[in-house]
Amino acid sequence: MRKTFSRIEIAKQIIARYRLQLITTLILLVVWFTFSIINPAAFTNTFTYTSLMVVSPFTIIPALSLTLIIIAGEIDLSFSSIMALGPLITALTWQVMGEASFLGVLSGLIVGLGAGLLNGILVCKLGIPSLIATIGTMFLWRGVVLVITQGFGIPLGQYRNSAVFNALVGRVEGVPAQFLWAIGLAIILWLILNRHRFGAHIYYIGDNRTAAQMVGINIHKVLILIFAIHGLIAAFTGMINAFEMATFWPTLGDIYMLKSVAAVVVGGTPVTGGVGTIYGTFIGGLMLEFIEMGILAAGFTGFWIRLVHGLIIIIALAAQGILRRRELIRARIMRLITT
Amino acid sequence: MNNRHIVEMRNITKRFGTIVALRNVNFHVNENEIVGLVGDNGAGKSTLVKILAGVYAPDEGEIVIKGMRFKKLNPKLAYELGIVLIHQEYTLCDDHPIWRNVFMGRELTNKLGFLKINDMKKIAYQSLSQLGLFRMPVDTPVKYLSGGYKQGVQISRALVFEADLVILDEPTTALSITETQRVLEYVKELKNKGKSAIFISHNIYHVYPVADRFVILDKGNVIAEFNKKDLVPEDLTEIMISIARTGKIPEKYHELNLYRSTSSI
Repeated sequence: MRKTFSRIEIAKQIIARYRLQLITTLILLVVWFTFSIINPAAFTNTFTYTSLMVVSPFTIIPALSLTLIIIAGEIDLSFSSIMALGPLITALTWQVMGEASFLGVLSGLIVGLGAGLLNGILVCKLGIPSLIATIGTMFLWRGVVLVITQGFGIPLGQYRNSAVFNALVGRVEGVPAQFLWAIGLAIILWLILNRHRFGAHIYYIGDNRTAAQMVGINIHKVLILIFAIHGLIAAFTGMINAFEMATFWPTLGDIYMLKSVAAVVVGGTPVTGGVGTIYGTFIGGLMLEFIEMGILAAGFTGFWIRLVHGLIIIIALAAQGILRRRELIRARIMRLITT
Repeated sequence: MNNRHIVEMRNITKRFGTIVALRNVNFHVNENEIVGLVGDNGAGKSTLVKILAGVYAPDEGEIVIKGMRFKKLNPKLAYELGIVLIHQEYTLCDDHPIWRNVFMGRELTNKLGFLKINDMKKIAYQSLSQLGLFRMPVDTPVKYLSGGYKQGVQISRALVFEADLVILDEPTTALSITETQRVLEYVKELKNKGKSAIFISHNIYHVYPVADRFVILDKGNVIAEFNKKDLVPEDLTEIMISIARTGKIPEKYHELNLYRSTSSI
């Protein structure tokens, strides 16, 4: 009797644990199906999927590392500006060197890492709430970019055939390299989050910071490190974006800020921290991009994109809210049973 | 009984602004001893153990653990020295499974830091089974567990890591009668395994069955210390009521008070 009870419980818990991911995936499939009906020609065409793979990493990649920060119960909005700062440093290095080198990429990444580190230090060492601190650095880095460029773009077309471009935004058997980067980073971050001690600590800090502190987890070290990782990855994403467009624009990254945050939230990671998944974020980002593409393919104007995005975000959050409330009730009942 | 102190707190004073939470407190725990720390709300019980667990730094005094002297501790250091604080709210991660909570902060990993999940699950299961907690799979998130079960998870955390001193801060508050009994069993189990514990409670009838010695705090002072063999629960209740009314212990217990005799020497 006891055994059957626990087996059913295990099954229920597995479903409960992956319920959010299942729902997110389901919504993606529904969206895909809807668009396929509206415009079958566009959605049986491989070109549509290729371009999805070209643009979706701009939203997905920063959302992946943002997931770590949100799970830890913090937020970072400055990554949209770091997305411009990183490639600017790269472009300037290239201008000085006269060629597209990996050194330029490296210097851009280091600056991104440094900018992320600064966020971490502001939040941890000076105790500024991350929302405020990163709004500050968001303006700061955007300002730096605008002052340096004086608002002008930097063409990168002449570097198009370089090894750097191929590595970051080339095509591998027709698949855009940036999509492979997105998948690779998703796997790495998933491993860190779910199979590594560091990821476990990220979860604990978001779930119960006092408890994490009591068992001796170095909270500041973990937070500073994930802010730094996020800065690094934001700079990397900015480069991918600039290389793909073959131009550096000083406004680069602006539109991805809220889209990446939305991808995380739609993917089932609540802003309250402690829980969340990389998988959900990946699907969430893919879905937002898919909707954008679908709306255009279905013949609507771009004005509809925000409206539909808004609807999807609200629907996803409402579904998650209902699930969580049911889970709370379930937890209450379970607590009585286990007494 | 071996009377070696595993922890000693000397002349501890702690102030919060103008409020003096602890005044010149001396306190110790012997090897394999359960100390019942009793006193009214605001007596300084929690403050005292939080200093021991490294949550607060004392303003004056020192802490001696295993022969090492400290001006203050931090949670990590206290944990490494084998002091584990157990509390209903602030030591568990509700959204995470039992096994993760048992190993929290001391995960078993390979050299690269990757988790040995199966090993951890197995050890967590064995440790919980010893306490009679096998009804819920170790994958169950802690939020699904009752208060007593949660205490059990924390006790098994302390057992897995061979903690020397387990501090139980109000472990029986808000628990049902059966659950309270179960938690008291856990504490006895700790004693059987040669551990020491500090048991904080308002409820004399919860502390009495498990404690070897009672330390009574009132308004930031230790005012009395009794051996269990000298008292019956009713005596302890009488003493507590007297303290609440007059701030003093009744005359007839003065002889038994260990604290006064040690401090007058």
